[in-house]
Amino acid sequence: MLSQSCIERILAAALSRGGDFSEVFIEHSKTTSVALVNGVVESTGSSLDMGIGIRILEGDKCVYVYSNDLYHEDKLIRMAQNASASLSDAPCGKTIYLEPVVEYFSGKPENSLISVSKKLQVEKLRKAGETAKEYSPLITQTSASCAGSEKEIWIANSDGLYVKDNRCRIRASIAAIASSEEDKQQGSFAPGSSEGFEFFERLDLDELARKSAKIAVTMIDAKPCPSGKMPVVIGNGFGGVIFHEACGHALEATSVGIKSSCFTDMLGKQIASPIVSAFDDARIEKEWGSYAVDDEGTPSTTNLLIKDGILNSYLIDKIGSRRMNMPSTGCARRQNYSFAPTSRMSNTFIANGESDPESIIADTEYGIYAASMGGGSVDTSTGEFNFAVNEAYMIRDGKICEPVKGATLIGKGGEVLMNIDRVGNDLKLAQGVCGSVSGGVPVDVGQPTIRVSEITVGGQA
Amino acid sequence: MDKKTLGFIDELLKKAEEEGFLESEVYYESDSSMSVSAREGKIVEFENSDMAALSFRGLYNGQMGYASTEDIQPDMIPFLLSQAKDNCGVLEVKEKITVYEGEKEYPELNLYNEELEKIDYAFLSELTLRLEKALLAYDPRIEAVEDCVASSGSGEIYIQNSKGMVCHDRDNGFDLYLGVRAKEGEDVQTYGKGWIFKKLSELDEEKCVNEVGKRVISKLGSTSIPSEKTSVVLDKKAAKSLLSSFSGSFSAELMQKGLSRLCDKLGEKIADEKITLIDEGIIEGSFLSQGFDSEGVLAKRTVLIDKGIFTSPLHNRKTALVDGVESTGNAYRSGAKGSIGIAPMNFHFENGTLSQEELFEKMGNGVYITALYGLHAGINTISGDFSLMAEGFTIRDGKIDKPVNQITIADNFFDLLMKVEALGNDIDYFSPDSSHTQSPSLLIPDVSVAGE
Repeated sequence: MLSQSCIERILAAALSRGGDFSEVFIEHSKTTSVALVNGVVESTGSSLDMGIGIRILEGDKCVYVYSNDLYHEDKLIRMAQNASASLSDAPCGKTIYLEPVVEYFSGKPENSLISVSKKLQVEKLRKAGETAKEYSPLITQTSASCAGSEKEIWIANSDGLYVKDNRCRIRASIAAIASSEEDKQQGSFAPGSSEGFEFFERLDLDELARKSAKIAVTMIDAKPCPSGKMPVVIGNGFGGVIFHEACGHALEATSVGIKSSCFTDMLGKQIASPIVSAFDDARIEKEWGSYAVDDEGTPSTTNLLIKDGILNSYLIDKIGSRRMNMPSTGCARRQNYSFAPTSRMSNTFIANGESDPESIIADTEYGIYAASMGGGSVDTSTGEFNFAVNEAYMIRDGKICEPVKGATLIGKGGEVLMNIDRVGNDLKLAQGVCGSVSGGVPVDVGQPTIRVSEITVGGQA
Repeated sequence: MDKKTLGFIDELLKKAEEEGFLESEVYYESDSSMSVSAREGKIVEFENSDMAALSFRGLYNGQMGYASTEDIQPDMIPFLLSQAKDNCGVLEVKEKITVYEGEKEYPELNLYNEELEKIDYAFLSELTLRLEKALLAYDPRIEAVEDCVASSGSGEIYIQNSKGMVCHDRDNGFDLYLGVRAKEGEDVQTYGKGWIFKKLSELDEEKCVNEVGKRVISKLGSTSIPSEKTSVVLDKKAAKSLLSSFSGSFSAELMQKGLSRLCDKLGEKIADEKITLIDEGIIEGSFLSQGFDSEGVLAKRTVLIDKGIFTSPLHNRKTALVDGVESTGNAYRSGAKGSIGIAPMNFHFENGTLSQEELFEKMGNGVYITALYGLHAGINTISGDFSLMAEGFTIRDGKIDKPVNQITIADNFFDLLMKVEALGNDIDYFSPDSSHTQSPSLLIPDVSVAGE
C-alpha cells in the first residue's frame, strides 16, 4: 500500500497545473468462483486485482487516469502531472494534508469466502443441481455457482478526506433448464449479500432449485404471449426492475446534471401515480446493493426519491452536485479503479402500498401477470424502456390462468409511473448487477406486487 | 513486451514445473488508452489508462487450474501457483485438456499503425470540439450532443507455454462515438453511432456528422403502429445484433452440454438455401483480422451453414477432442481473468444480391427495422425465441414512409433462418463502422409486430 505521504504527493502533483480538486482511489481485491454444470465442477477461478485511479476536477470537467502499477511512486506522480496537462494553466496552490484515515466496514465477513475451501461450496451446489433435476423428468440441464469478492479500498482527496472501506460480497446461483422437442426454457435464482461464506451456509439453495425447476417446467408448456396494450400485474421482488429501468436511471445526475433526462427540473412535481413512493437506500444492513461509504468517500444515505407520486430527490454525486447546485446524496459508485465514479443506484425499490396482492389479481378482468422479470434497458433522454418477462400468466376474470412465454414490456418511464393503479403490501428485494457508464455495480431492485393499467406487451401471438 | 515481464513469465513457467505442473501456460494482456469527451464547447472528460493482467493455467492431477493477477511482481508467483493448484483439486472436467504446441509460423497482420502514435490530447480535443459544433449546426432541431467521444488505444496479447509456444500480437486504433438528441415540440429522439479507424486518412468528419444528423432528424415524429403480423426488412445493424446474440448456438461447447437448439442438427437443413454462414479469422486487408485464437491455434475459415445445411460448429481444442475433429481456432477468453471458452472471430452471413431499394420493392408493404433494443434480456438464447423493442420506418409501396418507434418484434431466430426471403448485398468488411459480427439486410415475412 502507498503511504499517506505518498498519496499526498500524488494529490498535489495532480493539481500542479490546474484543477480545483484531486482524488485518489486505490483498490485491492480478491475474487473467487466455482461453477458446476450438470453436477460437474467445470470451472473455478481465483484472481487478484489492484490498481489506482486519479481524478482531477476543474469545475465540472473531469480528468481520470488509472493504472495497476502501484510500485513506482515516480511513475504515479508523472501520471498525475500528465493528467493535469489538459487543464487550464492556473494552479490553485492548495496545500494537501490528509486527515487520519477513517475506516468503514460496508461488509465484514464472519467467515471469509476467500479462505474457505471450495470443496465446502461444491457439495451444496451439487446437491441443489440434483434437487432441480429430480423435480421433473423434463429438467435436462442444471447449473449452480458461487462467487464472491473481498475488497479493500482507500479514497483520499485534496480536501483532506482520507477513508478506507472494507467490502465483501457473495452471490450464489442456481438454474434449471426444461426441454421439449422444440423448446428449452430456464428458471433461475441468484441471491446475493454483503456477507461472507455464512450467507451461503444459511441459504436454502434446494428450495431455490425446486422453484427454478418449477418455472422452467411451467414455461415449457406455455403458449406464445399475446401482443398489444393491456393491463399488467407485475410480481414483487425482481419486478422492481421496471422502476430501476423506467425511472431510476433517469433520476441519476449523470443525465439530470446535463439536462438530458426526461425528469430534469421536475423536483416537487408529480411524476408518478399518488400511490407510489420509492427509495434508493444504500444503508440496509448486509444487503447486496448496500455500502457504508460511497466511492467518493461520502457516507451513504437513505434517499426518498418519490413521495406520494411527487419527485422528492435525485441521485447526485460530486460532479452532479456541482452541475445541479445540490448536495451529494452519497451515491457515487464504480465497478473498480478503472472507472471514474458517477451517480448510481444501490437498493432501489417502490415502497409498500395498501393492496393485498390477491385482491390486485382479483380486480383485474383481463391482462398479464408478470410473475418474474428478466433484464431490460432504458434511454434516459426519451424515457423509453424495454424489459423481458421470464414467467408470465394470463389473467382472466380475476384469476391467474395459463402460462404464456416470450413477453416483452415496452413503454416510456413517465407514462408507466403515472399508470400504476395498485400497489401491494408484499415488498421484496432481489439482487442484480447494473451496467452503466461507471461499469457493473451490485444493486438490489424491489417492489411489492403492482398493477400498471396499460402497457405495450410484445409477444409472438 | 518489456524485459521484466518476459523474465517474470519465464520464472513463473519454471517454478510451475518445479511445483509439479505437467504443463503450463501464461496469457498476458495489456492495453493503454486515451479518451476525450466534449460537451457545450468544452472538454468535459479526459481519461488515460495503462493496464496489464496476467493469467496462469497449469495441468495438475489431470485438471487444468487457473489463477490471475493484475499485480505482476515476482512475489505473486507463489499466489498464482497455489491458487491454480487449489482450483485443480476441485475441478472435475472429464475431457483431457492440454496446452498447444503452437504453429510453425503465424501470419504477419500488421495491425499496429505507428502513425496513430501521434494522436495526443490536443488532436482529440480539437476533433471532438469541431464535431460537436458541426453536429449542432447540422439542424436547429438538434438540441444537444450527448456523447462526443474520441479515443485512441493500443493493446498487446502474449501467450507462452511449457511446450515452447510463443504467440504475440499487438494492435492499435482510434475510435469515435457520436450521440445526439433532437427535439421538435414535445417529441424527443436520440441516435448514436461509433466508428473504429486504423488510419487517420479513414476519418471523414463531414460524413460522420451528416450520417448521425440525418438519422436523428429522420426519427422525429415517430409513432407506434397497430399490432400485426407483417414482413420486415432488418437493416444490417439490426440483423447483425440478432446474429451476434445467437452466435452461442453455434458453439460446440454449448452443443455438447445440450444448451443449443442445434445439438443434434449437424448435416441437417437448418436454414433457407440462400443462407451461408462463415467464420474467418483473417479477412485480407481488413482491420478485423485476427491471426490466432486464445490457445494459440491459427485462425481458420469455417463454413457453419453451407446453402442452408449445418456443416460445422465452432470448436476450441477441448471440444474438438470430444468430437474427434480439429479445432476451428475459436478458443476465446474475455480478458486475462476469463477461462477458455468459444467465440466466433469474424462471423457473417454471405452477402445476397439485392440492394436496399430492391429489398423494399420486393417487400412492398411492411416495416424497415433499423435498431433492436434489450438484446441482453429479450431473447431465449437456447430456444431462439425473441421479443425485442424496435424502431425504424414503415415501408409503403416499396418506399420509406413514416418513422416508427415504441413497437416490439417477436419471432424465433431458427424459424427466421428458414423463412428468410432475401438477403441484401450491403456487408462491407473495410468500413470503419463494421464489426466482428456482420450481416447483410434481411427480408423476413410474417413477423409479429406489437404496437398499439
